[in-house]
Amino acid sequence: MNDNASPDQFQDPDVSTTELDEVIHANKELYDKLNKLPEIEALEAIAIEEEEDLDRGDKPHPFLVLVEKLKYFYSKNELIRYASWSILLILISTTALTMIEYDMFKESVSGQVGKTFIFGGDEANWLDTFFHTFWWSIVTFTTVGYGDVSPVTHLGKFLTIIIMLLNFGVVTLLGGAVASVLVAKRLTGDDTLDESKFNGHLVIAGWNSYVPSILKLIDANVDATDTVILVNVTDRDIIQRATTGYERLDIHHIPENFTHESVLRKAFLEKAGTFMIIPDNSGLLPHEEPDEDKTVLTCLTAKSISESCNVIAHVLDTETVSHLERANANEIVIPDDHVPHLLAKHVTDPGVPQFFDELILQEEKDKGLQEVKIPKSLNKQSHNKISAFYKFKYNWLLVGYAIRKAGFSLDDQMGESGSPLIRSMIKEQLEGAGVNLTSDEHVVVEINPPDDYKVDEKHSALVLR
Amino acid sequence: MNPTAEQIQKINHFSKVPKDMCEKIASVVEIQECKPKDQLLTEGDTGDTMVLVFQGQVEVSKNMMVKTASGIATSRKPIIRLETTDPPPTSDPITEPTVFVVEAPAFGIGEFSLVLDDAIRTAHVHAMTPVKYGILTLEDFSNIVKDNPEIGGSVYFEVAKSAVQNLATASGDISNLTQAFFFALTR
Repeated sequence: MNDNASPDQFQDPDVSTTELDEVIHANKELYDKLNKLPEIEALEAIAIEEEEDLDRGDKPHPFLVLVEKLKYFYSKNELIRYASWSILLILISTTALTMIEYDMFKESVSGQVGKTFIFGGDEANWLDTFFHTFWWSIVTFTTVGYGDVSPVTHLGKFLTIIIMLLNFGVVTLLGGAVASVLVAKRLTGDDTLDESKFNGHLVIAGWNSYVPSILKLIDANVDATDTVILVNVTDRDIIQRATTGYERLDIHHIPENFTHESVLRKAFLEKAGTFMIIPDNSGLLPHEEPDEDKTVLTCLTAKSISESCNVIAHVLDTETVSHLERANANEIVIPDDHVPHLLAKHVTDPGVPQFFDELILQEEKDKGLQEVKIPKSLNKQSHNKISAFYKFKYNWLLVGYAIRKAGFSLDDQMGESGSPLIRSMIKEQLEGAGVNLTSDEHVVVEINPPDDYKVDEKHSALVLR
Repeated sequence: MNPTAEQIQKINHFSKVPKDMCEKIASVVEIQECKPKDQLLTEGDTGDTMVLVFQGQVEVSKNMMVKTASGIATSRKPIIRLETTDPPPTSDPITEPTVFVVEAPAFGIGEFSLVLDDAIRTAHVHAMTPVKYGILTLEDFSNIVKDNPEIGGSVYFEVAKSAVQNLATASGDISNLTQAFFFALTR
């Protein structure tokens, strides 16, 4: 924080208006000059280019996407697999019979269709014959067997015998696959999600009245993830009512107990960007308190699935905080922590609590306090330049930075000091006791730093839009 | 049989000592031989002798309390191996080297005994190959230094150097252990 100036200085009533005008004029001139700097203009072009690159980089070729989807369906869906083989078998039998019994099928198609539409015009051609044979194949495969056409040569009949016998197997497998898909759907309650859709998504474990507000705020921020998986056992109708009407968000619901590892794996936790655990009111009566031990247990389970998973835990009881810290939760939110400050500010600095209300509760789309990525070209620049960039390019106020601090690593910290024996013993014993030698990356903030504060790639900007 | 003055001079602690003085040291040292696995020094013993290794490889190890599957147990952990290069050992070490091996023409172990008469051995030392070594007692060395004070300066300088190095390592170890202690407490 910039503590050089006391607030009283700014409240000095003796500062003359001429003096103020001079300062404002000087600042305006400086801003105008800065705005004309070629660096700032160049940066604008770079920022646009970076955005375009990002857009381009995110979209693979639609054909590849289609092929990937078909491959995925083939490998995951039994029904699709058997149906593909049946169609292939029908096509092979049709082609074989068309070649062997061409004369018979051609005569039959001419006799039956008569003068109505045929591909060959006046006389039936190979396409008409093929279609007619295809009709025969389907009639035979589906065991309907109209008997309007049948092979006459011995070879044709022999092939038909083979096809009909194979057909038994295919029809049985296809029937079985349909039944198994239906049973599986019934057992899982239609909750099997398409894994390819999930990467960097948000998983929210638990349900309470905060969730719709959380979703609303995430929906309003275009830079945030648009895929959310809710894991809780709250009534489906309640979830459905609360999760409709969002512009961007694609919300899924897994109606199972989120403390189970298998359930969290269903939500593809290892690929999730953020995992949020909140006090769970599912199935509770109005006077009952949520069980906070579940939050700790879920955090431990999540970290055992993926150590790098970014876990944000919301707790009501401050005693749970130390347990969550031990469980390696990345961020812990205590809801009433700021209330005493807000109450005191109503007395000492009226307007400040209202400012926070306006800022946090009234946040609209693209308005309010937001975290944005700093263009790569501004890396290693000083705070005043970055501040000027946001001011001139977007008219945003840069209030500070969110800095991703690397986690603590005991191994790095020890380095090469001391004897190798002691170092290896420390590592061996701590690992043996289940203590992880590294702690996760976490976020700290730097508010209103001095002008010469240097910014690196670990920083992202906190701007007031 | 006594070692030669050259053999004494190959040992780092005596490298700056003039040859005629080395002869005096050699005259009070008797060359002995030991088999692989023979113990030369035992951790925790007090001693007033320095072991001068002229040929072979020895392993320095320490007893450590470690947590094993069956509970806390004392286990001997190898720290380092010392090997002569001039002449090299007569045979390969008894096991494949899994710890760092320091090579020197010849070397001395337990040099603090040249300063303290009741120095406590801080580690075990045992032979990994057939070893030729000699024993220099504090009494013999003190007598030589009394008659020839000029030897003392260079020898005690080397002893002080290794003491300072040990101190720096110990300080690093304390710092690492303190960090590990707090790290383990906060997890």
